[in-house]
Amino acid sequence: MNNALDVLIGQSAGVNVTTNGTDRLAMLNSIRVRGTTSIIGGNDPLVIIDGVTSDIATLSTIYPADIESFTILKNATETAMYGSRGASGVIEIKTKKGTGRGFQISYDGNYGFESMYKHLQMLSGPEYIATAEALGLDYNNGGYNTNYHDVITRTGLIHQHHLAFSGGSENSNYRASFGFMDHNTIVKVNDYQNLVVKLDATQKAFNGRLIGDFGVYGYSSKIHDIFDTRMLFYSTAAQNPTYPTGPDANGNWIKNSAASHINHPGILLDEKNDSKEMNFNTHLGLKFNLLDNLNLSAFGSYSYSSTGNAQFCPTWVWAQGNVYRGEFKGEDYFTNIALSYNNTWGDSHLEATVSSEYLKQVRTGLWVQAKGITTNDFSYNNIGATSSRPFGATGSSYEDPSLASIMGGTTYSYKNRYAVSATLRSDGSSMVSDNNTFGFFPSVSLSWDIKKENLLSDVDFVTMLKLRTGYGQSGNLGGIKSYTTLNTVKENGIVSINGAPTVTMGSIKNTNPNLKWETRSTFNIGFDLGLWSNRLMLTSEFYYSKTTDMLYEYDVPVPSFAFDKLMANIGSMSNQGVELGISVVPIQRKDMEMNINFNMSYQKNKLLSLSGEYNGMQMTAPNITPIGSLYGAGQNGGNNNVVYQIVGQPLGVFYLPHCTGLQKNDIGGYSYDIKDLNEDGTVDLSDGGDRYIAGQATPKVTIGSNLSFRYKFFDVAVQINGAFGHKIFNGTGLAYTNMSIFPDYNVLKDAPEKNIIDQNISDFWLEKGDYINIEHLTVGFNVPMKSKSVKSLRLSASISNLATITGYSGLTPMINSYVVSSTLGIDDKRTYPLYRTYALGFSVQF
Amino acid sequence: MRRFYNIFAIAIAMIMTSCLTEDPRDQLYEDDIYNNANNIYINAVAVLYNYIGGSADSEGLQGTCRGLYDYNTLTTDEAMIPIRGGDWYDGGLWENMYQHKWNPNDLPLYNTWKYLYKVIVLSNKSLSVIDKYSHHLTIEQKTAYEAEVRAIRALFYYYIIDMYGRVPLVTSYEQAQNEVLQSERSEVFRFIVNELQEVMNLLPNERSNKMGNYYGRVTTPVVHFLLAKLALNAEIYCDDNWTDGVPQNGKEIFFTVDGEQLNAWQTCIRYCDKLAEAGYQLEGDYSYNFAVHNENSNENIFTIPLDKNLYAAQFWYLFRSRHYNHGGALGGSSENGTSANISTVLAYGYGTDKVDTRFEKNFYAGIVEVDGKTIMMDNGKPLEYHPLELKLNLTGSPYVKTAGARMAKYEVDRTSHSDGRQPDNDIVLFRYADALLMKAEAKARNGEDGSLELNEVRNRVGMPYRKATLENILEERLLELVWEGWRRQDLVRFGLYHKSYDQRIQLPDEGNGYTTVFPIPQKSIDLNPKLKQNVGYK
Repeated sequence: MNNALDVLIGQSAGVNVTTNGTDRLAMLNSIRVRGTTSIIGGNDPLVIIDGVTSDIATLSTIYPADIESFTILKNATETAMYGSRGASGVIEIKTKKGTGRGFQISYDGNYGFESMYKHLQMLSGPEYIATAEALGLDYNNGGYNTNYHDVITRTGLIHQHHLAFSGGSENSNYRASFGFMDHNTIVKVNDYQNLVVKLDATQKAFNGRLIGDFGVYGYSSKIHDIFDTRMLFYSTAAQNPTYPTGPDANGNWIKNSAASHINHPGILLDEKNDSKEMNFNTHLGLKFNLLDNLNLSAFGSYSYSSTGNAQFCPTWVWAQGNVYRGEFKGEDYFTNIALSYNNTWGDSHLEATVSSEYLKQVRTGLWVQAKGITTNDFSYNNIGATSSRPFGATGSSYEDPSLASIMGGTTYSYKNRYAVSATLRSDGSSMVSDNNTFGFFPSVSLSWDIKKENLLSDVDFVTMLKLRTGYGQSGNLGGIKSYTTLNTVKENGIVSINGAPTVTMGSIKNTNPNLKWETRSTFNIGFDLGLWSNRLMLTSEFYYSKTTDMLYEYDVPVPSFAFDKLMANIGSMSNQGVELGISVVPIQRKDMEMNINFNMSYQKNKLLSLSGEYNGMQMTAPNITPIGSLYGAGQNGGNNNVVYQIVGQPLGVFYLPHCTGLQKNDIGGYSYDIKDLNEDGTVDLSDGGDRYIAGQATPKVTIGSNLSFRYKFFDVAVQINGAFGHKIFNGTGLAYTNMSIFPDYNVLKDAPEKNIIDQNISDFWLEKGDYINIEHLTVGFNVPMKSKSVKSLRLSASISNLATITGYSGLTPMINSYVVSSTLGIDDKRTYPLYRTYALGFSVQF
Repeated sequence: MRRFYNIFAIAIAMIMTSCLTEDPRDQLYEDDIYNNANNIYINAVAVLYNYIGGSADSEGLQGTCRGLYDYNTLTTDEAMIPIRGGDWYDGGLWENMYQHKWNPNDLPLYNTWKYLYKVIVLSNKSLSVIDKYSHHLTIEQKTAYEAEVRAIRALFYYYIIDMYGRVPLVTSYEQAQNEVLQSERSEVFRFIVNELQEVMNLLPNERSNKMGNYYGRVTTPVVHFLLAKLALNAEIYCDDNWTDGVPQNGKEIFFTVDGEQLNAWQTCIRYCDKLAEAGYQLEGDYSYNFAVHNENSNENIFTIPLDKNLYAAQFWYLFRSRHYNHGGALGGSSENGTSANISTVLAYGYGTDKVDTRFEKNFYAGIVEVDGKTIMMDNGKPLEYHPLELKLNLTGSPYVKTAGARMAKYEVDRTSHSDGRQPDNDIVLFRYADALLMKAEAKARNGEDGSLELNEVRNRVGMPYRKATLENILEERLLELVWEGWRRQDLVRFGLYHKSYDQRIQLPDEGNGYTTVFPIPQKSIDLNPKLKQNVGYK
């Protein structure tokens, strides 16, 4: 487990962590709590680290060793406290603080290596030649037998160190930690380095009536990323295998010009895509105990982040080269003041809170792109040594959205048995129109502790039984940008005026002056059951949510609009599901213990409508919109769409022609026999033609499970997750099986035998995506310590990505099956080779 | 106390709301950019010239792919992009273009529609802006600015009716969505002609193709050329029932020109003559019009100014046509696509002993040399284009990579950016040789002899005399204007576009000519259900 995201995987029902099946540490990580509820964005849950608003990228830099606890809030009443920011769920992280038990120091270290265990099996050099000869095709023979996976990969290395010390007393304590990670992945150019520093202090005063929390958290990371992942893996698979691994004696690369969509993978390793991120945030929280049952808290935080991107393409990849530098900075100012009251009268207990908060963000950016380099030696370090920086290649930006909220909430409980809570919240944003600035989002919930009823008090084997239900609304603005409602203008081109090139200005988008909050209403009902001293625990919840006034870039007619998209609140979408969690402790003895945690979530998403009223006009939208297609040689445009957004269906469905089998074609191979579904006598592959809904891209069911077993000082833990009910379009298989690309491009080992000379898409390549994946297996040994100075010592060994059980024929079913984007559900030549991580861990506490 | 709380609550609400207003710094409000005459010219008039060329698919009148140019060229007997093994299948896009099997759902058709109408709506907006801010303008400025915008708008409507037939005529920025209805093609045609005639004398009577104050602008001669074009195609544009088999007669279509009633052919001739009067003439060297520095051509009338260091517009066609190694030898790269059809190279006399002199200026065929050196392919063999081996699907052919004569025409700019897609040659949209051929054709159609004009064009390239029959004129238009994006319009005018030609076989139901206009994009209909699909399309 390298970071906090690994900890989240498999922990909670309804939470899906996707790492795009490629690089587990890439910042592409996305988390979905209860699926996608908004098309435009804002589906990533809010991450709160010690009260400070954060994001998933920062979460991924947190060390598991620094985490005290994390809580996932999903229901509207639970997230009400965070308002619109928490509309898509909240992950609350509490980090470790000083314990107040005197000086402690601990070290955790992890040392591992990564090795590739599976990659695509393409024709080898001799097989390639034999196939070309057999087919009588004109081919290029470079005289070598190269497996390009060897060219781009290496044994990955990862080591990380985490040192923490804490001290102080009950009234005043601190904790400081330092973390460092160095990770060289299995792909030669792909490295990560991360340094994390964290300091927290707590001080109590006035007999404990005032508690002050102060914290600083910062990280600095360097990322050497792959410039174009698909280009690299496409080239690695499809390059002519008879070419040498590197350049010739004169430094020239042998070109395979006819394969214009790929390059020699070795050349691509010279491209650079580096970034450097710095993040600093600090917070100060004060809690006053004003009266016995009245508390005032004040919290303020400041965050600064800076990202520098640098990219470079040498002249042997792009004819005039390409250099890009970008600097992006962000500052967040956040304050929250809350007054809370609680009191108990006899059997009644009341808690009430009012709070207000304000968040101001400032985002600035500056970027330059240049072409026409005269030497490759500068890489991206001297952008002045370029000849061309045309219009649009240099830019800067400024944005300062702000958010203000007022909230009141109260919870009343009777005999600790019945509880009712209600919150009323008002969120205001600068980004919606002036007459819709504030949105009102109420919520209410009820809970009933049945175990406390007389009825169950004598039933000993039932240790817990609680019933809860709630209904609430929350607002979402995620994914929209500042100034959407303003009729503003920007530079939009450069023309010759009176002989001089002149920058012109004008509108660059349709303006929607009536933009308002997207609203999500959620109903949930569930129970928690504990049996036999909670050795069997069962929790289950059903939810239904409906997103209305759905924010989306709707298609609008041109004319009368000048531009074809309009950010508006028109459509609606629903999500529903059941979540189930089971925790069993079959063995619980002094020397032996076993824990089984299992969670499962069933989700159903439906796009209800994209049509409705806008400014008194009835807007109609196409019911079928393509969102994902294939890319590659012979696959640019045309009838190449695979994944669609269809009204009445889940977001992301496969809408494909139906293939009934293979048939011989007139060029000596086989073609897909496509069915004339509408029986009009012609086969029409276009969007409105012979296609049908062939399945959904997002899983219907996801599971996560942790199993652990301890015997004396030894323990074993396994983490497993899985997903079911979805499909994957195996575009990689389609492209690398199609013999019409041969011999310009290499093909899979079984392609010559299949002899398919056709690259039309159809359900022939649509496969079930079900899988169970064993994420981690860890074996640990807690060394029994008699020493007074060493409190604990633990040694462990772990394997990550141990095994995947699946019927999917491609490299891995763990592609993007969650995030609605152009890659959803499509395995298309971009999959990272599969690798395992073997690591040894050492941790000691003094 | 209660009062205090009330004041407190109101104060908080006010503070919060005031903290929630936006104050953009990297954008401006419209009042700031239309604040004086000069800025109104830049941001309401000249801004529209950004859209003449393009740098993305389906945008620009010429230069990019999957847009106007492709629909006017790759659907004809002039050229095609054949399927070459793994390349150029692209979901059947190019094959369907050549065979006329396009579909209302085709994305490039929708993108082209969006591009053309974007410019219409922005032109309407400019007119509205000029009116709103007219207090910054003198009467002369206002008239001149409006004239230029209206001319640009008419230019785009010309391309729209040529492509889509029955289309919405939107002439005001304030026009509500539910008032966007289709007009008959003839009605839009009359609107375009009237607009152009009204504004032509308000525009600067200057050369647009030369660098300087009028570079790239729609000036009087540009409008004259366009009016000649419209008159020449009047029979087509005035025919609102193009599938009923009843053609219009150009001799019975009248225009008022300089106070005279003239029929379509006379009108065309009159506007062509105005270009001659303005001093346009054939360049001695055919190729000079397409040179890297072609800004001083006396023949070019309207061009898209290109400069790799200044402007965003691009020119992809050489890049798209040449073999990979051919592009590589020229310092860029290439896509090995577009090829001249066999019927085209045969028209030039390729393979005979009487090859038109323009063949080698317009095409690469046979073994290719760059800087005196033969280009070698990756397999070590010389690169040789085989014009007569072209087939729609070359997969499995020994000439899969080399079949087809490739596009030359434009001088290669060896310092191009973007792998050869950003050269400095201005893209030629209108030129005088075309005006001469238009005049020859109009004369022939009006019962006169256009041989003088036809042979002025032929003489320049050293080709022998031909009589100005309609057939010869159509062939001359191919020989002279190949790769310039006119072929579809010419074939439609000659009633040949929907027939079988070259390797294309007429579609079973195509006899009524419904494919002479493209379908209204399905998405446009979905978004505006008041629009009706063109006849013959589902």
